[in-house]
Amino acid sequence: MAETPTAAAALRRRTLLTGATLLGAGGLAGGLAKPFISRAHADEPIRIGLLLAKTGDIAPQTEYLANGTYLALAERGNKIGGKPVELVWLDEPSPQGAQQNFQKLAQENKVVAILGGALSSSALAEEATAANLKLPMIIDNAAATDITGKNCNKYTFRLNTPVAVQARMFAPYALNYGKKWYFLTASYAFGQDINKSFHELLAKAGGTAVGNDEVPLNTPDYSSFILKIRQAQPDVVLGGVPAGDLSTFLKQWNELGMKGKIPVCEIAIGDTDIWAVGPQAATGTYTSLWWYKNPANPPEEVKFTQDYQAKYGKPPADKAWMGWITAKSLFESIEKAKSMEPLAIVEALENWRGGSADNPYMYRQGDHQFLLKNLVVQVKDKITDQWDYFDVKATVPEKTADLDALFGSPEANGCKMTAG
Amino acid sequence: MLDLILSQVANGLVLGGLYVLIAIGLSIIFGLLGIVNFAHGAFFALGAYFALTLYNVAGWWAVIFAPVLVGMLGMVVERVLIHRLYDKEPLISLIVTFALALMIEATIRLIWGGIGLPFNPPPLFAGFFIWGPVLITKYRTTVFMTTVLLLIGLWAFMRYTPFGRILRAGSRDPEMVGLLGINLPVLLTAVFGLGCAIAGIAGVLAAPLWTIIPSMSAGAIMPAFVVVTIGGLGSFPGAVIAGLLVGIVTTLTIQFWPEAAGAVMYVFMALILLVRPRGLLGERWERFE
Repeated sequence: MAETPTAAAALRRRTLLTGATLLGAGGLAGGLAKPFISRAHADEPIRIGLLLAKTGDIAPQTEYLANGTYLALAERGNKIGGKPVELVWLDEPSPQGAQQNFQKLAQENKVVAILGGALSSSALAEEATAANLKLPMIIDNAAATDITGKNCNKYTFRLNTPVAVQARMFAPYALNYGKKWYFLTASYAFGQDINKSFHELLAKAGGTAVGNDEVPLNTPDYSSFILKIRQAQPDVVLGGVPAGDLSTFLKQWNELGMKGKIPVCEIAIGDTDIWAVGPQAATGTYTSLWWYKNPANPPEEVKFTQDYQAKYGKPPADKAWMGWITAKSLFESIEKAKSMEPLAIVEALENWRGGSADNPYMYRQGDHQFLLKNLVVQVKDKITDQWDYFDVKATVPEKTADLDALFGSPEANGCKMTAG
Repeated sequence: MLDLILSQVANGLVLGGLYVLIAIGLSIIFGLLGIVNFAHGAFFALGAYFALTLYNVAGWWAVIFAPVLVGMLGMVVERVLIHRLYDKEPLISLIVTFALALMIEATIRLIWGGIGLPFNPPPLFAGFFIWGPVLITKYRTTVFMTTVLLLIGLWAFMRYTPFGRILRAGSRDPEMVGLLGINLPVLLTAVFGLGCAIAGIAGVLAAPLWTIIPSMSAGAIMPAFVVVTIGGLGSFPGAVIAGLLVGIVTTLTIQFWPEAAGAVMYVFMALILLVRPRGLLGERWERFE
């Protein structure tokens, strides 16, 4: 009878709670602080850290970010300046866990720089660690304004366009639908940032918010929120829910018969969020940094699209491009710096340039924010290809000369760059 | 406002039905085997992924085949792993099934990839019913009716069949059942498979509503634990009542205080446990005391 339940297996609530607590604590266990000694020895490969979530609702996006990063390295024969390069990928399970893994990358793996930062909450914690450890980091996905605003520092660069800027770019298009907006935003940094930015822009335009719901992350059921929206009858739903949450919302939006009745708008989404919804339920107007079928893509990015398709058997999502371009900028900067010293890499990144004559891009010196034009994309009325969901409606701003003003000066954004 | 409250209560009942479906397999496994199955959400996710894959091969028959496959996989897991835990400290089963959940999620990621996969309700269930202020989609109504039929079937099975009687007796006094010459370990394998199959059914039915990603298990496991705890560990009717209550409490919170919607079920659980430490219909079980 050894296989049957016995009295020895007494389940006490206290024991259960202790177990659950231990499991939780285990997830937080990470590297302890040790003095930061050295980064790369002459006979070792150049190690670069990849700090991206491996699980959770953001994982579909990070998979593409990582794919783009690995492709950028493969394009260079896995070398920088003739030396082999090794990418070390650690998870960012939570802001605390991300900080611990940042330290681990710096102290145990001795990386020379770090790419990552999928969620704003984690990225804000990571950039503080980057400043403390004086290790260059490029945040490739997080969009919270404060990253290159009041929290900016010498060692942190950021690719994604800040929420406040995307809001300024996108607001005129959302206002085309009307001035009665219903806000549905996630209750963490990214959603709150969207909420604040768009509320200000809506007030300036003389519009009104007819509803304002903050949604917990990883909400599995939106039907009750949708019933409230249906009752409020807004001109447009202004969303701020990330990744898989947006996919779930759109599926249920369609299920409750709302698709096509009230327009859905959101900024800083990922292509994968919409691909997960399927042609039947996909809808909305969004901002995007990059779209693989944009006719304006320069030859270098067309080649990237072809290479990606050849390697992974599907087109690159915007996040793949984001991973690729941040990695490319870092690899080229390290090569140009001819040094693994953090300040030399930082200086090289500040002087790095990319893009085409029509759409140049770079990291701005004053706040290390990547300046580039954004796209306004809309889900096609009829989707016939499992990947081709968007029509590009506009490139914002039209003129490159307007970029700096649209992003706002570093001082106006609250950035006071510290030497670290 | 009354209209909206009525609408949200009706929606909460339907949502609660889905919570009941997710939780009932967990409740059965705990009630009959004494195993706190942290991997229950992973079996739920497998149900969704199997349905998605089989749909391309077998059409809507996938809705039936997918839970059967999940149940069979559950039986293999029980034979290989779970049966070793019955006479062990409960903490061990908690940790082992937690590891199992992580392993299943990683396997899903390896096979199907990390990105979300599209899956929508069949056209037959498109549209909704409107009764006054109440709006319920046809698909959610179908999910609710399926849950009700499944619960009635399970109840009748446990109450009126010899298999059910043996299981109920075995869950209280396994040694006595063994002394009567009944091969209880084989039945326990079947029970674990049944619990997993029900998780699979919930996964299949949730697939058109939720985003199918490897981490969807996390969205299922916590409500399931809350429902089972509020209902009383191992109590079948308790899980039903608790599931419906959690659904209604959640939707009403969304109406009046949306920021608290994620936390309200835990607060509700804490309040219930303060008043009834064993949950709503939890009983004193000798072997768990």
